[in-house]
Amino acid sequence: MSEAAAALRGVAQRFGRKVVLRNLELELRPGTIVGLVGANGSGKTTLFSILSGLLQPDAGERRLFGHAADEVDAPARARLAYVAHATQLYGALSARENLRLFADLRAAAGLSTRPADEVLLELGLSPEALGRPVATFSRGMAQRVALARALAARPELLLLDEPFTALDAAGRGMLSRVLLDERSRGAAVLLSSHDFDALIQICDRIVLLEGGALLRSTSHNGDREGFRRRAAALWHDLPADPGDTMADGPR
Amino acid sequence: MRLLRQALLLLRSELRQELRDFELLLTAGFFTVVLLAMFYLSFASLQARAHLSALPGLMWLTVAFVGVLTLTRIFDREREADTLRALLAAPIDRLAIYLAKSAMALTVLMICCAVLVPGLWLIFPAGQAFAESPGQTALLAFLGCAGYVAIGTLFAAGLATGAGKNTLLFIILYPLTTPVLMYALVTTRALLDHDPALPDHLARMFMLDVILFAAASLLFETVLVGAPARRSERAGRPGQRPPRDRPPLASDAPVHRDMSRETSS
Repeated sequence: MSEAAAALRGVAQRFGRKVVLRNLELELRPGTIVGLVGANGSGKTTLFSILSGLLQPDAGERRLFGHAADEVDAPARARLAYVAHATQLYGALSARENLRLFADLRAAAGLSTRPADEVLLELGLSPEALGRPVATFSRGMAQRVALARALAARPELLLLDEPFTALDAAGRGMLSRVLLDERSRGAAVLLSSHDFDALIQICDRIVLLEGGALLRSTSHNGDREGFRRRAAALWHDLPADPGDTMADGPR
Repeated sequence: MRLLRQALLLLRSELRQELRDFELLLTAGFFTVVLLAMFYLSFASLQARAHLSALPGLMWLTVAFVGVLTLTRIFDREREADTLRALLAAPIDRLAIYLAKSAMALTVLMICCAVLVPGLWLIFPAGQAFAESPGQTALLAFLGCAGYVAIGTLFAAGLATGAGKNTLLFIILYPLTTPVLMYALVTTRALLDHDPALPDHLARMFMLDVILFAAASLLFETVLVGAPARRSERAGRPGQRPPRDRPPLASDAPVHRDMSRETSS
């Protein structure tokens, strides 16, 4: 069996007195897409921050690409890409300048990057939009640029915090196809979403995060219909949250 | 070489953004002019001897105020779109971020000094020494601003990764930059007094800057993403009790259940 792209063992994180993650165990294998579901404040973004090296866990072990990663150094970061809930783009710069900056930074580290136009085309953004400042973009267009920046790096580990946010139906479909291509390429993908249908269509496994711990998971194991039923049951166990957009789900 | 290239790329991006709206330069420049006007109205009528005593303080007070304004705004740009985290997650040497931000802040401060120093000389006749020794004046301004920026960038970056902590920058930055500003003040006085020990003062300022940049470079990554957990904590030492004032981390964690073989009800 192939080595896990990322693994967390007994990871815990607190902010002040608030425990955000507790005794968390998670493994992400190459060529799989894992969906992460959980209510707001369940610790999803903290989990992404720890996996991407933006946060050091208070306790537990983080392993990346087969090595213990006390710190996520530049070579490890070269093999992963993280798309946060915010688009993390410079509004005053054009889409091309944003993508070029990160491509140039990678090139300075001796790393290659796919051409921005090519990736944006896959995500349904016209090359003409590349020259416009990102501040003039709709949220959905900016989300496509953020996704393009991540995908252009051909990462082995793709961390996506609510990537379907603000995308229209066509955009969601394109992103789903792109993520399935990434899986075929051998990338390990972890994505969180409140879009049940999108998750069920592309994920190999869905895990429920609640109160900072992984409560339950379910894998499709070739039985897509059974997977949908089990995932629906898992989805129903999400705590009600008036601020959540769970209406897309089957509840 | 890689570090330098990445720092230059980031600095180029900073400058490109600044040239789109001139936000930093306009804010800092306008504030400098306002302070000069206030200094003129308050102190121009004093005797020349008093000007000599007041000039160093006025100069570095302005740098302190404009500096914190500049640093806050540089990192506000990153905070607004959360772009600093994108840079931290990128496969670059994180020190390049520090170098680029420091260089940007230093550029803005030096441009403000290009307005401030001639302004002080025009307002106060005692500032004639600035015009007599332009090279030493420029070096003094550069070394003083560099020391200020070395510490300021470190803490502004650390606070930018948190939420709504800009006010802390003022509280933290002023006490920490006091030694740099005090020494810059002493050196400015030496310049105005035509003190023959001025080159020694400038050399000491240079050494202080080197020490500050070295210390800030070592601390930068830790300040931004934190230090790795101690080995005993990572291992989750069996039987170890959490500190009394903190809730337990790993105990009473719910048990993970794989539902893959279960039938949904």
